[in-house]
Amino acid sequence: MGRKKKKASKPWCWYCNREFDDEKILIQHQKAKHFKCHICHKKLYTGPGLSIHCMQVHKEAIDKVPNSLPNRSNIEIEIYGMEGIPPEDIKEHEKQKTGGGKGSDSDDDEPAAKKKPTAALLGAGPSSVSAGILPTPMGQMPQGMYPGHAMSMNHMMPHFMQAPRMMMPGMRPLFPAASVPTSTPSKPTFPAYSNATISAPPTTSTSAAGSEPKENGEVKVPAANACPLVTATGAGSKIVHPPEDVSLEEIRARHAKYRPKPKPDAPQTIATSVANIMSASTSQAEVAAHMSAAVAAARQQAALRRPVMQQVVGVLPQQLQLQQLPQLQQLPQQLQLQQLQQLPRVGVPVSMPPVMLPMMPQFNIMRPIQPVVVACGVWWAERWGRGACGVGAPRDERVVCRHAGAGRDDADGYVRRRAGPAAALPVAAQAQATPLSQLALLDWRPPVPRPRPAPLLLL
Amino acid sequence: MTVTRVAESRTEFKLKNLPEDAISSVKFAPKSSQFLLVSSWDCSVRLYDVTSNVERHKYNHELPVLDVCFRDAAHSYSGGLDQTLKMYDLNVSSETVLGEHKGAIRCVEFASEVNAVLTGSWDGTVKMWDSRVPNCVGTYNQGNERVYTMSIVGEKFVVGTSGRKIFVWDVRNMGHVNQRRESSLKYQTRCIRVFPNKQGYVLSSIEGRVAVEYLDSNPEVQKKKYAFKCHRIKDGGLEKIYPVNAISFHSVYNTFATGGSDGYVNIWDGFNKKRLCQFHRYNTAVSALSFSHDGSALAIACSQLDESQVEDPKPEDTIYIRYVTDQETKPK
Repeated sequence: MGRKKKKASKPWCWYCNREFDDEKILIQHQKAKHFKCHICHKKLYTGPGLSIHCMQVHKEAIDKVPNSLPNRSNIEIEIYGMEGIPPEDIKEHEKQKTGGGKGSDSDDDEPAAKKKPTAALLGAGPSSVSAGILPTPMGQMPQGMYPGHAMSMNHMMPHFMQAPRMMMPGMRPLFPAASVPTSTPSKPTFPAYSNATISAPPTTSTSAAGSEPKENGEVKVPAANACPLVTATGAGSKIVHPPEDVSLEEIRARHAKYRPKPKPDAPQTIATSVANIMSASTSQAEVAAHMSAAVAAARQQAALRRPVMQQVVGVLPQQLQLQQLPQLQQLPQQLQLQQLQQLPRVGVPVSMPPVMLPMMPQFNIMRPIQPVVVACGVWWAERWGRGACGVGAPRDERVVCRHAGAGRDDADGYVRRRAGPAAALPVAAQAQATPLSQLALLDWRPPVPRPRPAPLLLL
Repeated sequence: MTVTRVAESRTEFKLKNLPEDAISSVKFAPKSSQFLLVSSWDCSVRLYDVTSNVERHKYNHELPVLDVCFRDAAHSYSGGLDQTLKMYDLNVSSETVLGEHKGAIRCVEFASEVNAVLTGSWDGTVKMWDSRVPNCVGTYNQGNERVYTMSIVGEKFVVGTSGRKIFVWDVRNMGHVNQRRESSLKYQTRCIRVFPNKQGYVLSSIEGRVAVEYLDSNPEVQKKKYAFKCHRIKDGGLEKIYPVNAISFHSVYNTFATGGSDGYVNIWDGFNKKRLCQFHRYNTAVSALSFSHDGSALAIACSQLDESQVEDPKPEDTIYIRYVTDQETKPK
């Protein structure tokens, strides 16, 4: 609609995306809005400056820049006017301004609503750092996503705890570059943030299906059954849709009451017919069907394996549990023990873990990885999003700059981090504790030469 | 979702004897605004006489029905999760199974141009059927993507699938795909409807956005395509973005109504890029819309489709018939 596109050359504030006519005014704005100490109202010059001031003068740790957008609240990045803004953010900003990128976005044109320049840039916070992580309200996730099929959560959580990116929620980049596996100076300093500013990340591109290393060194989880995810556009918005990128009808069709009536004697056919109906073969329901088929088979093997079954039941969908549990609970504990002891005699090796039982291989083969990833991903993303700025982190884990006299001079190009315990951790542990996306934060960036403002530390 | 209670007025009323489960599709008869076909997740297909507000016919599938369409005043076609395409003769109340898909049938459309029925399925194909006897005329692969939505006007036949693919066919010559496109929207395609004047189509996604696109691949024409945001609700600091579930064209004015999971119905003038009006908020998500042939009435089906995955007591599934005015539908 004949609206004039604004020139992108105006100075703008990285923290709040506001545009100014003059960089001087921008700096005034930043000092007044973002770099002002909330205790003594002293205006500092940079984010790190403010944090050091608060630490040293008031003994208070500041974890985010005041009045900033959720994904721009990083206090460690040094920005002064237009200087120090990560290049990809500048690019992104220009793109947004010129309406570049995909045509569909360029002409957003809702007659009723005014277009806000900041809206598009209001990318998700660190929560959208990696694929498969969805900023969905946490409360709904574990139960809401697959009602009655909470099993994969329980089952898979331990596994994902080991994955590097499943780091503690709310943790900040604590550990020094010692654990950085891949970092080259040419890389963007804050890839995580630049990713986050894409206003609407594509969700369904088939290329995303493979596991390709992303620019921040993070390997995308392969979409197990080419089932991409619906990721929300940003921290300030939420798409009211289940996280799986399949149509609402398909999701609804998985509901037990819409499935064809099961034939009791042919569990296998049930599974197949269910699979036919849901050609989106990623469904939990299908897994459940396969499992129930498998379980039915296993069940015929009667009492011998019951104790083991009970363990398995712990990860089964509720429906199955309902069927199985009464039966199992009737068994006196002693009897179970007895049976367990008898097991070796019938040829089941004692050392064999329950997962090796006949029913399990099928389950393993059929289990789609995706929903699990979703489940964990969302959960962590949620925690991470909430605690992204260190809010949730235990106090002693917060990043505190303790260098004596640390001021702007401390802008040695390294993002501040805590020295100390980290060094004591074995490298493997560090890698585990530091999310890949955050490792990039440790990239070295040459200090930006700029006019030196007045001395910072007036104690 | 807050429920807006609006007194039933002359311009809008609720149908009686509604289906017991979510409504998947509503279609007005081709030449009268008296009859409305409704398919539902309660496995039924019902025919309503809107003017006297009574249910005239009802037949069932084995499993939920996802779509239904009229051939003429006396025949309907329907398909759903049971993967079978049924023809129903409304005069003699007899049903005929025309054939089967390998997956659930998501869309059923009647192509008057070639007197055939088209079905789109989650098995990744579109099939064309003889409209009178059980005879599958052809099976057309849609890139192995599940068919989510279809629309046909005259010979222009547009299919939207999973993976944001769009296939443009000509029903007179189904030998090859006319155009293969990728949706210009970044999120899952929810609904596609071809303009009654056949110049283009309107496409909606799950991310509260609607695109207006043109079929002519001439770059000059393609320049005119655009997309806009809608069906979003600012709730405090959080903007909730809802799927746009339904689109229906006003056949006379080429304006269209969109219905979203936010419970709103908007009417747009796609050529002038204007919103003509917004109705009050309905009690739950709008799952289907249908303008009558002359554009005098709009059927609005309200059913929650689990988009928010809240286990609340389910809001009632309802169908409203709204008699729209020129002011609401005519380009200004």
